[in-house]
Amino acid sequence: MKKAIALLASCLMAGAVGAAAAADFPAKDIDLIVPFAPGGGVDTTSRIIVETANTLIEGAELNVVNRAGGGGVVGQTFASKAAPDGYTVLAMTSSVVTNPKLKGASYSIDDFLPVGLYNLDPSVIVVPASSPFETADQFIAAAKQAPLNIVIAGIGTSHHMGGLAIQQVTDAQFNYIPTKGFGQQLQAVLGGHADGALWPLGEAANHAKTDSVRILAIASDARDEAFPDVPTYQEAGIDIEIWATFRGWSVPKGTPDDVVTMLSGLLQKTYESPAYKKKMSEAGYKPVFRDAKSFKQIIDGYAVLTSNIIEESGLAK
Amino acid sequence: MDVIALGFSTLFAPGVILVLAVGVFAGLIVGSIPGINDNIAFAMFIPFSFAIPPEQALALMVGVYCAAAAGGAIPAIMIKVPGTASALLTAVDGNAMARQGKAGKALSIAITSSVIGGIASSLVLLVFAPTLALFALRFGYVENFALAILGLSSVVGLLSANVLKGVISALIGLLTATVGFSLVTGYPRYTFDSVNLIEGIPFVPLLVGLFGIAAMFELLVDIWNERRSGKAVSGLPLIGSLKFGWALARRLVPVWSLSATIGNLIGVLPGAGMLMAIFLSYDQAARRFRRRFAGKPGEKSWGEGAPEGIAAPEAANSAVTASSMVPLLSLGIPGNSTSALFIGALAIHGMVPGPLLFTQHGHIAWMIIVAFLIANLILWPAAFIVLKSVSRSVFAIPKEALVGVIALLCLLGAYADGANSFNIWVALIAGIVAYGMRLAQIPLGPAILGLVLGPQLESSLSNALSISGGSWLIFIDPVNHPISAAMLALASLFWLLAIYGWWRQSRNRSLATRPQSDSSPS
Repeated sequence: MKKAIALLASCLMAGAVGAAAAADFPAKDIDLIVPFAPGGGVDTTSRIIVETANTLIEGAELNVVNRAGGGGVVGQTFASKAAPDGYTVLAMTSSVVTNPKLKGASYSIDDFLPVGLYNLDPSVIVVPASSPFETADQFIAAAKQAPLNIVIAGIGTSHHMGGLAIQQVTDAQFNYIPTKGFGQQLQAVLGGHADGALWPLGEAANHAKTDSVRILAIASDARDEAFPDVPTYQEAGIDIEIWATFRGWSVPKGTPDDVVTMLSGLLQKTYESPAYKKKMSEAGYKPVFRDAKSFKQIIDGYAVLTSNIIEESGLAK
Repeated sequence: MDVIALGFSTLFAPGVILVLAVGVFAGLIVGSIPGINDNIAFAMFIPFSFAIPPEQALALMVGVYCAAAAGGAIPAIMIKVPGTASALLTAVDGNAMARQGKAGKALSIAITSSVIGGIASSLVLLVFAPTLALFALRFGYVENFALAILGLSSVVGLLSANVLKGVISALIGLLTATVGFSLVTGYPRYTFDSVNLIEGIPFVPLLVGLFGIAAMFELLVDIWNERRSGKAVSGLPLIGSLKFGWALARRLVPVWSLSATIGNLIGVLPGAGMLMAIFLSYDQAARRFRRRFAGKPGEKSWGEGAPEGIAAPEAANSAVTASSMVPLLSLGIPGNSTSALFIGALAIHGMVPGPLLFTQHGHIAWMIIVAFLIANLILWPAAFIVLKSVSRSVFAIPKEALVGVIALLCLLGAYADGANSFNIWVALIAGIVAYGMRLAQIPLGPAILGLVLGPQLESSLSNALSISGGSWLIFIDPVNHPISAAMLALASLFWLLAIYGWWRQSRNRSLATRPQSDSSPS
């Protein structure tokens, strides 16, 4: 009987805590769901964030939980069904936007509330160091004459759609060479087995710094400080303002607003730590921060861009 | 030379060298537990590596990586359950030798071969890394296709018993590898709308099921049969003496050299992996054995305890370890899935593999290189310590208990790969299928090779043809793709030799009515 009363009391208290929400959030540890195996980009950035974030919250900890499988869909689906209390946070990538259409994932992008963005990685056109193409102009001009062989991570990936978008706004022709895993793609480009590749800037940067590859253009609205001589797509005559994959946090729909604000604030404070910025940059990820509202705009913009491409190219399942 | 000294001075800091030794012991244990491999161990370790200095984290990983490739042979020999997929072939002759009461000798051959393969590989990494990295870069889609064909052809020579069943097995593997979203078209194949199958059948649980769970079924049936026949359940083979003699060592030198060479070449090539290396070198060793020793007095048949059958795969799989770091450290391209995890461990400490690592964090880059050499030197005594202490007591446990524990570990290992309970079903079903294949006497090797090479075969074929504009001649173009042409010629030689062998065998069989003294069907 005593036990039953204790149980009832704790249930009531839990209810009260739920109602009071952010006042004493977090009351327990928060799971940050990484829908990929340890060692990848999302996992590494998440662990770097958690390291700093855990020094900023008291009484609870953020834990990285890897739920790999199905190219991210398994963990993303799990997060979409989690209790909307702020104790389950998804390390969200742009694939969440396109997976329902491309991979038949059962969730929709509206099942998630954006919390904040911590990394925006624009697409870049890369050629081997030995390539005859010195500028994006030469590259596009050649692609108008005859199709160029372009290495991408796979059909329907963000950078493949970015290539289709280039084809739409110029008259370039690309022959896509889907190659799984960045290591194999690097092998194909460094070995000169393809004419070029579409990569995220973050991965291309380290190899461009050693002059093994050349970046011809960046799909961003401003030039990158590390590559001041590389033009943006628009400067290079490719009329696309931004084509970027993103990494951020989101929570299941229905999570109280003040909890979202708390989490967003935590991500912002983490971003403001100099040690965090240094570590992210060293690992090859440019640290940025956008709050929930601005992250939502980026997600919506990406959804519009990609859904056009998906429909026009017949990629939808 | 200065840079090598820098590597040694980083490695020989007291904390670092100690951690390397710990890694070697841990790797032997990880390797010798069926169901747990270096991949799973790293995935569990990387989160912790955050909290320790990068020198120590990477030294530990090097130790585990080197030793796991050797440790897999221990249960393969003792109970015919490979601890890792790369000990798959070691189980055949190794366990046969153990059942003849020479388990110690088999283990000793396995460990020595591993150490020799590993040292050869570390020296290659230390001396030839830049040259070999350039060689690896010559492998494009065309060469990768030819390499996959060569890998699949290596198994032909081993199918003297039943060609049809071998082909069926390879087809099972190739077909299973098609599950998942097609890389070429982006459309789903046999996923049955399950999100768990988007990337294909999860590979680690699949392997754990095929060789771990299936072996458990076999052991269970053994125990059951012994019980029913009223006999006491026979114990596991005793380890016994670990000596194997100089004469045998001299005889194995050519096998070690060839297997280590094959392992190093395969290791340097991104995407080829340990399994291809063990099959290629096992095939070569089998040819040599048939030519030189088969049928001689005192010699066992191939597959029934031939020392070459242990030495070749063990020297080859260890030779893949350090050489798989060649493209990773020189170019930033991981040689296989395990060396890819080093990228994660480096990134966590703000380092990126490739040429930049040598300029920005030279002490780490050179420490990793020399650590491979030292890890293999530690491995030899460490393996004998583990054999004499841990293994002796583990394999003294009654068989029934061991079956339960290993089955549990296999399922745990399958689950740990992604923390997904779907994986447990994958492992169980794969185990049942593999056991069924064994009952039907369909060999498992070709299926596993098909599984590993299937995706590479498909994507490299379609991409090579896409680049060539549909021309198949690109694969035998001696000017632009000489490597591909040579590998395909070698592969067809394997087939021709096998076909000639079968023809001679069937002719001998038809002549068998007449007394023949020199026709030994092998």
